[in-house]
Amino acid sequence: MTVGVKVMKRPGAKVSYLRATLKGMALTFSHLFRPKVTMQYPEEKSSQDWTLSPRWRGTHRMLTDEQGRAKCVACGLCPQICPANCIKLVPGEDEHGNRYPLIYEIDEFRCVFCGYCQEVCPEEAIHVGVHYENSEFSRDRFVYDLERLCAQTHPVSTLWDPSDPKGE
Amino acid sequence: MSDDLITLTIDGVPVSVAKGTLVIEAAKQAGVLVPHYCYHPGLPVAGVCRMCLVEIEKQPKLAVACATQAAEGMVVNTQSAAAKSARTSVLEFLLINHPLDCPICDQAGECELQDFTFQEGRAATRYSPEYPKRFNPVEDFGPDVLYVPNRCILCTRCVRFMEDVAQEPVLNVSERGDRAYIGVHPETRLDHPWAGNVVDLCPVGSLLSKDFLHKARAWELDKSASVCTGCSQGCNVTLDTRENVVVRVRPRPNLEVNRYFICDHGRMNYRWMNRGDRIEAPLVQRGGELHATDWQDAFERVTTVLRGAGGRVVTLVSPRASTEALFFARELFRGGALDWTGAFQVVMGEEAPLAGVPDLALRAERAPNGRGAELLGYGREYAAALAAAESAAVVLVLDEPDIPVRTAGTLIYVGTVLPERARDAHVVLPIANVAEEEGSFVNRDGRVQRYAQAKTAPGMARPAWWVFSELGAALGQGEPVGSAAEAFERVAQAIEPLRGLSYEQLGFGGRPAAVPAAV
Repeated sequence: MTVGVKVMKRPGAKVSYLRATLKGMALTFSHLFRPKVTMQYPEEKSSQDWTLSPRWRGTHRMLTDEQGRAKCVACGLCPQICPANCIKLVPGEDEHGNRYPLIYEIDEFRCVFCGYCQEVCPEEAIHVGVHYENSEFSRDRFVYDLERLCAQTHPVSTLWDPSDPKGE
Repeated sequence: MSDDLITLTIDGVPVSVAKGTLVIEAAKQAGVLVPHYCYHPGLPVAGVCRMCLVEIEKQPKLAVACATQAAEGMVVNTQSAAAKSARTSVLEFLLINHPLDCPICDQAGECELQDFTFQEGRAATRYSPEYPKRFNPVEDFGPDVLYVPNRCILCTRCVRFMEDVAQEPVLNVSERGDRAYIGVHPETRLDHPWAGNVVDLCPVGSLLSKDFLHKARAWELDKSASVCTGCSQGCNVTLDTRENVVVRVRPRPNLEVNRYFICDHGRMNYRWMNRGDRIEAPLVQRGGELHATDWQDAFERVTTVLRGAGGRVVTLVSPRASTEALFFARELFRGGALDWTGAFQVVMGEEAPLAGVPDLALRAERAPNGRGAELLGYGREYAAALAAAESAAVVLVLDEPDIPVRTAGTLIYVGTVLPERARDAHVVLPIANVAEEEGSFVNRDGRVQRYAQAKTAPGMARPAWWVFSELGAALGQGEPVGSAAEAFERVAQAIEPLRGLSYEQLGFGGRPAAVPAAV
């Protein structure tokens, strides 16, 4: 038993794909004359129109003093405030009787990049960084020790200032 | 009685206190803590810090609450504008020279200067940042005390402690005015056996314990009430633990025993609680070697031995074991035709009294529960017990660090660590140490005092009272106990001097048992 199919008759202007194709190509062609937004990452990392926000919170950086030593005094506030419990700190005493971190490690995998450690630091030592390229070949390389945190060179994050909410 | 009481009003709250009570103490009863530095209930009143200024109605000037006696009908206002602004000014003066090094100060978190500055200090300084603060180098005062003069607020608590309580006046206030600092006698050191108390007394981080220096921050510590195991005095202490490690021992006020102090021997007597070489599972002898097993198997082994035992049984116990453990260890051999001998050995040391407090000393007997062991029928004839052990059928040793016993019979060792000689034991049962269990001690004056658990026991180690009560139950001596409170209840039922005492009643201050004090 055959099924009766009703064949619709439409004008050629409607069934032809030519018009639509040309319209699409015209749109594509018009884009050639618009300003470019594509960036050639990784050769190009920021452009005139776009750059990473100064408030970006990425992997950490420990600032150092004039002698190249970490500014950290091992006060223990960052492991205390850290919601992800990713900072390990063991305080020690150096030859001048100053308190300093014997062990200072941040597990960047556990870190939630809240920036509380930077906010709470009384010595302005630990900072979250304006940085996002963190690939490694092994997982354990993501536990940053003190030496590595001090060796980071990327800019540090500017935290949100309630008295200047727009960062002006 | 009512003649001795006077009624006064503090911040609108009427309180009745004994005649002669200081306003600052009366305020505590009214639930008001007047900020103070130089005042300490365990020390004579000095009135030098001027921090506790309060307004008393009908008095023209503000009065220091620590040196003013409460009087009938007095109306004290601690929160009046005048009193508050006076205290804020005192704080401002103290902070002129106090460094802002809280991040590296050990006292941060338990510092009274921090607390009261937060409570009623100025939000910011009025001195320019260029204004130089007084600077003096850190001084080494004694075996465990470090003095940081920059942080000192000259409350003189330490000076008064050494002078009036320890009665060895080696500290003073040297120099005058803003150059003043705490000086130590040039020919002596701060090496009095009770000198460590100045660290606790110091309201700021000026006097520091070298032992605790940089070890932990105050807010990381878990505190549990305990009793010092250093000697038979039974001072009440707080064990401060950080991540399951005891890092500090501090005195816990108990006016009946140690008031506000503990000696340095007790203060340093905590490292063994953190020992790493602990027995973590029950061990049984198999083929000439000890093998780890489970509690069930170990209990079966022990009960087989105890059921078959006849004749002489010797129990050698440590006087550091809880009363409950000693009781259940004795109960194991109750009844039957057994000839039971129980003995303990007391390590002796030098006695070091605290001159200013009657009846408080580091006692020569370095055993926290010797009195408890005596009450339970254990004797001091240790040598005789050792001789008896040689021919005994069963020898039970409870946590003696070195087992000086040779026996022809079966040796059962119950302890925290495994000494060399315990390798001959038939069964070794792991138990918790004093920081890892709940229990009670009886001090030399017959005062029964509870201690609480401060950290977890390693592996399968259990409190000794649990081990012995389970063994007793396996031998058919009734139900085992499930908690320290239940265990104490059994002891109190069976032992005459403790009758009528309950765990709740003891609280954390302890209760005297009905025994004559030791000589």
